[in-house]
Amino acid sequence: MVEREEILPKYWYNVIPDLPKPLPPPRDPPEAEFSRIDLLRKIMPKEVLRQQFTVERFIKIPEDVRNAYLNIGRPTPLLRAKRLEEMLGTPAKIYFKFEGATPTGSHKINTALPQAYFAKEEGVNHVVTETGAGQWGTAVALSARMFDMNATVFMVRVSYEQKPQRRTIMQLYGADVYASPTNLTEFGRKILAENKDHPGSLGIAMSEAIEFALKNEIKYLVGSVLDVAILHQSVIGLEAIRQLDELGEDPDVLIGCVGGGSNFGGFAFPFYGAKKGKKFIAVGSYEIPKFSKGDYVYDFPDTAGLLPQVKMITLGKDYVPPPIYAGGLRYHGAAPSLSLLIKEKVVEWREYSEPEIFEAAKLFMRAQGIVPAPESAHAIKAVIDEALEAKRANEKRVIVFNLSGHGLLDLPNYESMMKRSLK
Amino acid sequence: MRKMLVSYMTLGYPNVEGYLEFIDGAISQGSDVLEVGIKPKFAKYDGPVIRKSYKAVNLSEGETWELLKETRKRSNVPAIVLTYLEDWLGKLDEFLSKLREVGVNGVLFPDLIIDFTDEYEKYVKAIRDHGLKAVIFTSPSVPDTMIHDLSKNSDLFLYYGVRPTTGVPIPVSVDSLITRVRTLVENKLVVGFGLSDVEDMRKALRAGADGIAIGTAYIEEVEKRGVKSAISLVKYFRGVLDEF
Ligand SMILES: Cc1ncc(COP(=O)(O)O)c(C=O)c1O
Repeated sequence: MVEREEILPKYWYNVIPDLPKPLPPPRDPPEAEFSRIDLLRKIMPKEVLRQQFTVERFIKIPEDVRNAYLNIGRPTPLLRAKRLEEMLGTPAKIYFKFEGATPTGSHKINTALPQAYFAKEEGVNHVVTETGAGQWGTAVALSARMFDMNATVFMVRVSYEQKPQRRTIMQLYGADVYASPTNLTEFGRKILAENKDHPGSLGIAMSEAIEFALKNEIKYLVGSVLDVAILHQSVIGLEAIRQLDELGEDPDVLIGCVGGGSNFGGFAFPFYGAKKGKKFIAVGSYEIPKFSKGDYVYDFPDTAGLLPQVKMITLGKDYVPPPIYAGGLRYHGAAPSLSLLIKEKVVEWREYSEPEIFEAAKLFMRAQGIVPAPESAHAIKAVIDEALEAKRANEKRVIVFNLSGHGLLDLPNYESMMKRSLK
Repeated sequence: MRKMLVSYMTLGYPNVEGYLEFIDGAISQGSDVLEVGIKPKFAKYDGPVIRKSYKAVNLSEGETWELLKETRKRSNVPAIVLTYLEDWLGKLDEFLSKLREVGVNGVLFPDLIIDFTDEYEKYVKAIRDHGLKAVIFTSPSVPDTMIHDLSKNSDLFLYYGVRPTTGVPIPVSVDSLITRVRTLVENKLVVGFGLSDVEDMRKALRAGADGIAIGTAYIEEVEKRGVKSAISLVKYFRGVLDEF
């Protein structure tokens, strides 16, 4: 038996030096009144920013962060979906990495922990972020607590009202959670003056968090999209490689869902770097068709346009995503490194609709007993399709996917999906 | 071997007289190469300070060529023009011929490797066919094998920008970046982008850089204390390089 400590990597993997082409740098928009790149310097922890722009292939995980990873139960399990294989009658073997096994229920904690740690190292005792449905905010709230820091979370007002459990968890961890737009920032006050019942948006919440960080000279933590988040998420893939090795398995197909790209990249890029796996599949939402309809251009990661532009596959920062249940996939772009790998056809993509992923989620629940997050159900749908294709071709493929989170706090969403599908 | 000082100034900044005074001073104080920026339509990959200097400049096309010619007349050191390829796509031959005509030695397109990755060889050839040197700009996010090839393909030296933009002191590990790239580069290696911090400069030189490119620091100095003060900065940087 290998020890947990042995499976947990000592280094994060950075894909930048292994990309087939130069990664276009972030840039300031043409008529910028202030430099957004300079703004990053003010709001991000210094070491996080250094890692964002580093080209070292491997970056040492600080001992304190490794201990924090162990403390939240890393390495997460790599499980075989044996009953799903049987139900599908496929000769393929299906494995999944279960990120839902972390206390906050998704992979987001993997980057929240180091970012909070690096802020603390710099002598900051308070971090701030925004959150939509609450996965990211929850991860930040717990990470801040683990390093004895305060956390402030600007939560999109509609979610604040409709997802009270997420808000409660953050508050139990000791975070201050505000329904955004708030009266705490100039930007929030401006929005409220226009419409006092504004439901909020991720862009507004992000702008408020950034303004709050600047005003209070504290640090802002970034959830996805920027490549540094993928770097930290690489613990998922690095552990999975090791766990598959222990089982003597050589993976053929690697699958993950994509919101901003951090869980897909964190899971799949280490395989790509280690030259393992023949096929990489990034799965998005059919209702938010960034892969099929998006352009590969420079765009803002945030709706308010406060961050530097990055070159990515995007539907445009002003794109308003429809209200699908997989809240974490309601994002207009995909991380620059992932976008480049898709453009270079190293990574393939799929897009699935809500009814399709609901069927896939049900099948998975009935086979494995785990309620997947609706985001992760997108990956499951692709897994099922691959497994059925292997069956048609009668091939013993090894399919590995990332189950990015559990769906136990998404049960109201599943109830609504059930009602819809009965109609 | 003498370490190279590559001094950048925006063509026509802060005004024609001030610009020429700086050029004279930059040469007399020991710059080995002059890098002159022609105001682009969109300074995609330039930092806030250089962008501001472009804003301050308003030369007609005629004045631009005149001033380049004048720059050339004053110096015996190589003068390289920095400008975005994007701006000249439709009239590249004409542009390159004109550069040659006014006596400029070479050209550096900061967007060549980023936005024209698949066709860069074609453009390098076009530059050389016009009797000009092609100085190639690279950065840490250029893949290793590509840096190796580009270094052999770049004239005078390979330009390596260690930060994602000029003039914003993003924290980077200068020594490990240079140590790594040094082994890949079969050419002289000139490092730039935010290297006005002399400790960073020394780290870069110790790690094997053959020279340093400076721009933002001069422009900031011109803005704050005037051209004469910027010229004494050239002297100061020369001194740091001469420690090696
Ligand atoms: C469970 C789950 N999976 C996937 C995603 C999308 O993640 P990423 O931004 O890493 O692509 C999210 C985002 O909130 C999520 O909560």
